[in-house]
Formats: sequence, C-alpha cells, structure tokens
Amino acid sequence: MNLLGGMMMMLAEGAGAARAPQEFSPLRPLLFQILEFGAIMSILGMMLCLYRMVRGPHLADRVLSGDTISWQVVGLVILLTVRMESTIYLDAALVVAIIGFASTLAFAQYIGNPRRQANP
Amino acid sequence: MTSATVNDILSIFFALCGIFFMFVGAVGIVRFPDAYNRLHAASKCSTLGVMGLALAAIFHVGALAVTTKALMTILFALVAAPVGSHMLAKAAHLDGLKPWDRQLSDELTQDKERQAGKSSANAPRGMAAPSQPRPARRDPGSDPTARISAVV
Repeated sequence: MNLLGGMMMMLAEGAGAARAPQEFSPLRPLLFQILEFGAIMSILGMMLCLYRMVRGPHLADRVLSGDTISWQVVGLVILLTVRMESTIYLDAALVVAIIGFASTLAFAQYIGNPRRQANP
Repeated sequence: MTSATVNDILSIFFALCGIFFMFVGAVGIVRFPDAYNRLHAASKCSTLGVMGLALAAIFHVGALAVTTKALMTILFALVAAPVGSHMLAKAAHLDGLKPWDRQLSDELTQDKERQAGKSSANAPRGMAAPSQPRPARRDPGSDPTARISAVV
C-alpha cells in the first residue's frame, strides 16, 4: 500500500516538480528544430484531413478524418511534451485520445443503424 | 558520448519516425480511392505515429510520470485504433457503401450470401465486381484472384 501511494505521488508530480537539470547534449538544438518541423507537418496533416472532411462522399469518410484529426492532436500534444520537458501535457493527450475513440464508436453506431435516413 | 547524447539520438530517430507516419497517414486519407482503403491509412497514423512520438517523449524526458503515461497512450492506441477501424468499416458496409471497383474480394458480402443460402457450395460466389465470378474460397482454381483470396 505504501508502494502504491509512493507511485501515485510520483505519477502526480506536476510541472512544478523540480527535475534534475538536463546534461548538455550537442544534439539538443537539432531535436528542437525537428520538433518544430513535426508540429508544422502535423498541422499540414490536419489540413489534409479537413479537406477530406469537406470532400468526403460518404459519412464514414468524414468520421474517419475526424478520428485522424484527433490522433494528430494527440501527436501534437506529445510533441509539446517533448519540447517543454513537462509532465502534465500527456494527461491531455490521453484524454483527447479517449474522447476521439469514443466519438468514433458513437458515429459508427450511428452510421450502422438501419433505421437511419438516406445518405446525407 | 554521454548518455544525454544517446538519449537525444534515440529521441530524434523516434520523433522522425512518428512525424513521417503521421504525415503519411494524412496523405493517404486524401489520396486513397475508397473509405475502406482510407481506414488503412488512418490506422497507420494512429498506431505507428503516436507510438513513435511517445517513444521520443520517453527517451527525451525520461521521468517516471512521462514514461508511464506515454506507455499508457501507446497501449490505448494499440487497442483503440483496430477497434475503431473495424467498427467504422462494418458500419459503412452495413450502410451500403460501395467498395472500390477494382477491389479483389468482399468477404462480408460473400458470408452474408452464404448464410442466406443463395448459393450452394460449388456455385460462384458474389464478388465486388460481378462481371468475373470465381470458384469457392477453399478451392483455388485457375483464376489468380481466387488464389490470392484463398491465401489471404
């Protein structure tokens, strides 16, 4: 029980928790440039998904592109975690992933319902 | 080469992998011809992309909280993406979405026809392209598409 409480305390450490200062690494600026590049590519991917959401001939295409946008947001939040070296952003990533999954399941139930009206 | 350098090399590698798969999934969603094919691209985006980025976070930050949450995110992505894709594809099929006209086989339609008793065991089963009927699935004949479907 004490071990569980200790693990909970360690998991709950927030942004204010004092982290050990990172050692110097010559690749750190390259990593940060790659993170900015990744943010740009993720936003471009979201725009491509928005194009499919507007164009999509079937409702399943739109739901699928919305699901992919939610996963891109998860990736973007993880990139923010790496950039800020903080702990609390991954909670947001997990919440966005769960909400996207639940909404995909709900839309799948809606699409597969035989009493639904004709194709919008 | 210190341990911070090694961690940064691993982090850069996994971040590049994740960014690549994220963008490739989005391009596939635009470029693929069919909702079922687009589901394939979206699964790449949500499993491999998120996995790469989360591994980059693990190797760069390295705290226990980040490691645990990133592993939970990876586990959730590995569970949620196939389930969501499967349910969406099945719902689209139930809704009557026509597959791509160059698709090789549509086994859910075949199973439905088989259960409805429309075809006997040796009769040619319904395909996505009804112009080319092929033999039964466990009997690969001279038709190459039947052999592909029997292997798959």
